[in-house]
Amino acid sequence: MKKTIKSIIRHLVLLFLSVVWLIPILWLFVTSFSGYKGINTSHFFPETWTLDNYAQLFLRPDSIVQYPRWFWNTFVIAAFSCIISTILVLMVSYTMSKTRFPGRKGLMSFSIILNMFPGVLSMIAIYFILKTMGLTNSHLGMIIVYSAGAGLGYLICKGFMDTISTSLSEAAKLEGASQATIFFRIIIPLSKPIIVYTVINAFLAPWADFVFAKLMLNSGVATDWTVAIGLFNMLGKSMINKYFSVFCAGGVVIAIPISALFVIMQKFYVEGITGGSVKG
Amino acid sequence: MKKKVLATLLAAAMTAGALAGCGNSAAETPAQQAPAAETPAAETPAAETPAAETPAADEAPAAEAPAASDAISTLIANTTGPVTMTVWASEEDQDYTTKLLDDFKALYSDVTFEITLGAESESTAKDTVLTDVEAAADVYAFADDQINDLVQAGALQEVVANYTYDVAASNVAGSLDAASVDGKLYAYPMTADNGYFMFYDSSVFTADDVKSLEKMIEVADAAGKKIAMDISNGWYIYAFFEGAGLDLTLNADGSNTCTWNAAGGTDVAQAILDLTSSGVFVDMGDEDMATQIAEGNVVACVNGTWRAETAQTAWGDNYAATKLPTFKVAGKDCQMSSYSGYKLIGVNPHSKNLGWAMLLAEFLTNEESQKGRFEARGLGPANSAAAASDAVQSNPAIAALAEQAAYATPQRVGGNFWSPAETLGQILASGNPDGTDLQTLLDTTVEGITAPIE
Amino acid sequence: MKNGLNAVGKYFKDLGTAVAKGDIWVKLSTVLMGAGYFARKQVINGIIMCLVEVLFVVLCVGYAAPNLAKFGTLGTVQFEQVFDPLTMTSTVNDYDNSFLILLNSIISLFIIFVFAVFYISNLKAVYRLQLKKENGQHINTFGEDVRTMFNEKFHITLLTLPAIGIIIMNILPILVLIAVAFTNYDQQHMPPNALFTWVGWNNFKNLFTSSVTVTFGYSFKKILIWTLEWAVLATFTTYIGGILMAKFINDKRTKLPKLWRTLFIISIAVPQFVTLLLVRSFFADNGIVNTFCTSVGFTDFLKNIGLVPSNLSYIPFLTNPGWAKVMIVIINIWIGIPYQMLVATGVLMNIPEDQIESARIDGANPLQIFIKITMPYMLFVTGPSLITDFVKNINNFNVIYLLTQDVFVTSDQLLANSNAKEIDLLVTWLFRLTNEYYNYKMASVIGIIVFIICAAFTLVTFTRTIKGDKEEEFQ
Repeated sequence: MKKTIKSIIRHLVLLFLSVVWLIPILWLFVTSFSGYKGINTSHFFPETWTLDNYAQLFLRPDSIVQYPRWFWNTFVIAAFSCIISTILVLMVSYTMSKTRFPGRKGLMSFSIILNMFPGVLSMIAIYFILKTMGLTNSHLGMIIVYSAGAGLGYLICKGFMDTISTSLSEAAKLEGASQATIFFRIIIPLSKPIIVYTVINAFLAPWADFVFAKLMLNSGVATDWTVAIGLFNMLGKSMINKYFSVFCAGGVVIAIPISALFVIMQKFYVEGITGGSVKG
Repeated sequence: MKKKVLATLLAAAMTAGALAGCGNSAAETPAQQAPAAETPAAETPAAETPAAETPAADEAPAAEAPAASDAISTLIANTTGPVTMTVWASEEDQDYTTKLLDDFKALYSDVTFEITLGAESESTAKDTVLTDVEAAADVYAFADDQINDLVQAGALQEVVANYTYDVAASNVAGSLDAASVDGKLYAYPMTADNGYFMFYDSSVFTADDVKSLEKMIEVADAAGKKIAMDISNGWYIYAFFEGAGLDLTLNADGSNTCTWNAAGGTDVAQAILDLTSSGVFVDMGDEDMATQIAEGNVVACVNGTWRAETAQTAWGDNYAATKLPTFKVAGKDCQMSSYSGYKLIGVNPHSKNLGWAMLLAEFLTNEESQKGRFEARGLGPANSAAAASDAVQSNPAIAALAEQAAYATPQRVGGNFWSPAETLGQILASGNPDGTDLQTLLDTTVEGITAPIE
Repeated sequence: MKNGLNAVGKYFKDLGTAVAKGDIWVKLSTVLMGAGYFARKQVINGIIMCLVEVLFVVLCVGYAAPNLAKFGTLGTVQFEQVFDPLTMTSTVNDYDNSFLILLNSIISLFIIFVFAVFYISNLKAVYRLQLKKENGQHINTFGEDVRTMFNEKFHITLLTLPAIGIIIMNILPILVLIAVAFTNYDQQHMPPNALFTWVGWNNFKNLFTSSVTVTFGYSFKKILIWTLEWAVLATFTTYIGGILMAKFINDKRTKLPKLWRTLFIISIAVPQFVTLLLVRSFFADNGIVNTFCTSVGFTDFLKNIGLVPSNLSYIPFLTNPGWAKVMIVIINIWIGIPYQMLVATGVLMNIPEDQIESARIDGANPLQIFIKITMPYMLFVTGPSLITDFVKNINNFNVIYLLTQDVFVTSDQLLANSNAKEIDLLVTWLFRLTNEYYNYKMASVIGIIVFIICAAFTLVTFTRTIKGDKEEEFQ
């Protein structure tokens, strides 16, 4: 009897917590179907229900809302930058984890410190560097912004590779395999979880970043934007009262690919984060 | 700058070697006849001067045409290949600007244009432009409060010559003041409605009620509704201090002179405290106001024409607007002042097609376009002829602005004003929670506002 | 430190030896970099070296020299533009752009530095070749040299590309901003229209002095304290919350653990900036939460106990400094816990069961087990990521900016005078300084300080990890 009560309390607590966690998300979801375009501050649920916000997103692009274009832009940027970043991260992690050369530890300390520099500040310098290369207002420039410095974020991946036993690579070396062969044939296949982890993180960054994107894509032309700038812009002073529920619809729509990615990759993801450390 | 087209053209041509950034070279040339032009228009209060200073058309209008049209035909002749330009207009202005751009292309059908229209709110244009002037649009709209910063950053091409219409003669004096810095015209006035005034629901307030803020609060309190104003914002809180006769002016070096802490300052601060203590007169941001008006909680607010639509939708036939009310300072009624505001169109000096950019800026602001903008969006024209039309005169919001104009001052203030003033508003609106001595409060604010520019 | 000095000493000593003892070809290599290779019949290497040298000279003359010549003053020719109303065109003089001079000079200096290192290592390599030849050792063909790039020197091959990226995206910008901290680059001195120049340590002095008008020192102190408070609070609340949540859900007595976990993870699926902006509207002064609180009388209750100022008709969730700080931490918990729970779940599954079992047999209660076994294990495993999180929180721009931008107005006048707010972190402050006030000089100074704090913090904690008690352990 006492056990049942305890169990009920336990599940009630969980229920309460999940409600707390889900209320804003639910609000986002229901507001995306609201017939009223502004923020409804007196009712949680919309008074009129409509699919019009989604229709506006996809079917009636105007000079402010170009959702399909944003989605495509972001997708292209995310896809390329995630490929490049993953390659860069793997290169650095392998070097730091599996090869030994003078100055390696110095380089590691240096890179960790370098990573501490607030990106927000170096933004303006990066902008002018890219501008001299003619890469502002271009998707190539955005891909460079998101992926070029990726090599610095190698720590977790290196931690994972550290746990891969050296006996395999030693054996391969005896058989005359080069470092390159070991890298491609042995380490990479064994690093699947951490690769997935890196890919997901790199893929998600462009969907969430608006600070860099806003600075780099400064032509003011909506078709150039990414989802993040577009949605952020909808909550600007003069827009919020006409676009709030459209913003919510946009938020719901980007959540779909991201959650799909998560559901599929969840197993690897957790293994990736914890894998490196757990095996010890 | 009140000059005729030809005069300007000649003057500027003769002194073509002079530097754009320093000194008004045109004023030294014999072609310049009106000595008044030397006096920077910005220094004189808007309301009093216009008629006296606007020079009569002593040059024959016919004389202008050849020179200007010569320039245009030279430009057309020199243009090879498509003209690529970017134009920034606010989000709300996109549809109408698109139409104007099409008309512009049709007008100069000999030339191929590739004009991109971008969305950039007038109120934030400065932020984007200043980050990288060279990457900013060729032609862009902005609010007049940004003009000092924009000119300083070299983001505005001086309007030394007009080609299709006389900017100085066609627009109301206040708008020209607003578009000038040190007596030089830097932008083309587009609308004259960017100031603020009082919106109210006439089913709650009578025309008599809205004369005094105290009375309004009393009435709103009885009705259980609220009156909103963005008090924690330098732009609005100015209304109280200026209204009570305290000064805020811009110095030549970009710093401010401010007497808000002088005798009587604490009375104003106390007045704001008293007004907000009721909980009826509330500090509220613009977006919030829109929602609260729509929901029926706010029945009167200090705001500008951009909220007219919201208010009209919510209040229907009871929608009304008037000048700002009076408020009591140490027992005496003072009329609230305000900033008169204008929206301007500027040309980026870094534009690759400067000539076309100037023509486009003129086109976007000519009488017809301003009229059209009023018809399409209800924005008050800066063009004197367009503003004089009956339709414009009978628009309640614009009429209220006109009424308020007598108490409004052009916005000339340095960058150090905003943060301290905003914080002063925040402290007063939240009832001075730390109980700081009001004189100390104002002293600190003024020291912040008047901080020297390095 | 001493080791470092010794290494530098050896580096130059080797260079000396190479030049002094090298034969005529090595000596010739000081002028023509490929010479040493030609003598040893490594023609391709020789050609490559010569090409590199030519490229460098071209860069020096065409790019580095003109920029570095102006580096001392950062330019003297003001932008001037003359408009000709008759042709409707304008002519611009050959003006100096201080920022571009600064940027290009730093790139030039960087290129020169890299070339110098390359040049020295080239001399040493040529000398090694000479020794090899004298000793009759095998000298690699070009093909063999290429092959070593995939074997013994694979690390060089692998690191080149990432290094170039990092140099462009991280190192150069940092160097530029360190330089900017010593200039007067602000809204009054913004290229292209105006020039800026060097001002020495002035900006640093401003940051550490306080007067009524220059309040950077005051603001810096306040914001630094809040930044650290925030970083500690944000890191530990989400960390511990995540572990507790994971334990709670993974407990044997919890039914349907997967369902619960998924419910919490849903909130991760919506990008952070969307949820944050949404929550900002949710808790707005006239937002839906306030409507609810007013209608159930909660607002009045808070007013009565003095938590809400009496002249407000709403709860100032994100507009009053105290409330906003608390709310930001709470909202951050809301955002952070699902992630931490995910990680903790993975780690907890791997806790050696036998330890917990034996403790239980010894009569330890669940709390004791948690404190004595679970937490130490968690800390051991996730220690490094905890530190990374801490540093990330110091630089946590999104949460603060998105929740308070356009909403929060400071009521501290001294903070206002330096454009700061109570809830600002150092990064959001410097973002505002650059993006709204174009005060690049002060932002750079603050950026450098943030950098030093973070770097010191990580160095202290990470050196242990790097020095590698763990690194070799599993291999």
